[in-house]
Amino acid sequence: MLDLSSPMARTVFLAVAGAIALYLFFPIYWLVISAFKANGELYRIVPTLFPHEPTLDHFRTALGQGRLPEQLRNSLTVSLSSASVNTALAIYAGYSFAKFQYAGRRLVMVMLLSAQVFPFGLLLISLYPIVTSLGLIDTRIALVFSYIVFALPVSTYMFYSYFTQVPSEMIEAARADGASELRIFHTIILPVSVPAVVTVFLYGFMWSWNDLLYAMTLIVSEDKRTIGPGMLLTYLNEVNADWGGAMAASIVASAPIVVAFAFLQRWFIQGVTAGSVK
Amino acid sequence: MTLVAGTSLRISPLARRGGLKAAERRTGWLFLLPALTAFAIVILTPFLRALGLGFTRYDLQTPEPVFVGLANFRTILATPEILGAFATTALYVVFATAGSVVLGLAWALILNQPFRGRAALRALSLIPWVLPSTVTAFVWGWIFNSRFGVLNALLLSMGAIPYPTAWLSTPSGAMTAIVMTKVWFSIPLFMSFFLAGLQSLDKEQIEAARVDGAGNRAILTDHILPHLRPVLLVVVVLGVIGNLQHFDTIFALTGGGPVRATSVLSIEVYRRAFDQWDIGMASAIGLLWVATILPAAYFYLRHLLRGA
Repeated sequence: MLDLSSPMARTVFLAVAGAIALYLFFPIYWLVISAFKANGELYRIVPTLFPHEPTLDHFRTALGQGRLPEQLRNSLTVSLSSASVNTALAIYAGYSFAKFQYAGRRLVMVMLLSAQVFPFGLLLISLYPIVTSLGLIDTRIALVFSYIVFALPVSTYMFYSYFTQVPSEMIEAARADGASELRIFHTIILPVSVPAVVTVFLYGFMWSWNDLLYAMTLIVSEDKRTIGPGMLLTYLNEVNADWGGAMAASIVASAPIVVAFAFLQRWFIQGVTAGSVK
Repeated sequence: MTLVAGTSLRISPLARRGGLKAAERRTGWLFLLPALTAFAIVILTPFLRALGLGFTRYDLQTPEPVFVGLANFRTILATPEILGAFATTALYVVFATAGSVVLGLAWALILNQPFRGRAALRALSLIPWVLPSTVTAFVWGWIFNSRFGVLNALLLSMGAIPYPTAWLSTPSGAMTAIVMTKVWFSIPLFMSFFLAGLQSLDKEQIEAARVDGAGNRAILTDHILPHLRPVLLVVVVLGVIGNLQHFDTIFALTGGGPVRATSVLSIEVYRRAFDQWDIGMASAIGLLWVATILPAAYFYLRHLLRGA
């Protein structure tokens, strides 16, 4: 789009591109190589740009001695469950918004979507006593259901904008054939929704996997802790910080979400930016 | 249509009962029911409760909420440290949003140029955004580390600073750190929005302008930016909303310190509620916090619901 044929334009372009690339990618590079540096090399006033004697010690310690494997399992359980619940709730609501006309539809949409702009921290304050009075404090179930807070509004909107592009004629034809609404949904709509389902599922999964706030407040027991607060408590305490361990644990904790993303990013970006750009 | 062939002899029970219109209304609500129920439990009820709690005293000494009218709000107005949290939040939101928007736009323009490996670079650019917030805090906490941090090493070697800076334990250093961290992981999402907007740019129009002698600057200000204006507005609003709410990496990096220098509203409310167990005050501050988000929220929702 820009004309970079003049040396001046090229120089400016490369300088800006280089600076932003450095800002974006250097921290990731630093995270990775720090995890492979032995402590003697890691804690130096003048740091080395790459590990001279790479070691897997930090990974061994993180995965062997710590609670990281347990926390990963907890995060996986919670994230898969909450992503499933979220996707199931959102797909029906999104379909309803996109394909049915009824009084109050717009109002409900506004209500549901407005939850996205709410400070989640405020909701947590009054969710906490509710969860407590239900006897669900310090349970993974509470966490799974609370995570609906984060993902439901946007997920519903993603399905809504996806379904508005599915031709209504298909539904009309099936209705004329006498198919029940649920049957129409399950045999016609669901099969064409696979890309949207995958996108929304990953979106919900990402929220739960990455959350710190709700996870550290609603879970108290060490054996139920998820990776967010788990890593924070393990590696950064007041007295000393184990930065090598923190970096190794970070790589392990990021791997599932980065890998999932590598495969699905195209669909995902389309889903998330849907409706906001046009 | 083969999928429904087997059902062709059945008349929809819904259509039979109350005519198509009524059936549609009923089915619409039926499909909405699961999500609405969940919404009522985890979002609406907590919100309405917070709305009520903001007008009560409910703390360690008061085990049950007691209605106190506007007392909490009067206390807020008379407490400099709470008002300070609003100012800190404003500062944070302005810098974090401006940084993310400008760099997100610049990065989108760069990744919009044709070059080899562009697709891979676009994909890689998303990584900061998908990392768990604790990981992000670790990465930047390590970079900003006062003794062994690479940032200090870099600045020292360039002669930009005479001795290592304690980034996270000075007020301006800590603010710089939380803004840099937030901008870092906001760039990918913002870039995605801008790239999506750039894809619908009329290339022929730009070619024509170029033939007429327009340079890069003219193309940018006369064609690209006007075209991106709607996206720009949405991204700014999203940025403001997101930054007003942001909690995780600030909490993990600075915990609101040093001496409240990074105590934005999310931190302030959290500390009052879960460290001091002053639920009444936390809710009252939270309600004012919501009020600051409302204008941006209104704009954003109106935009989302066009045509709905």
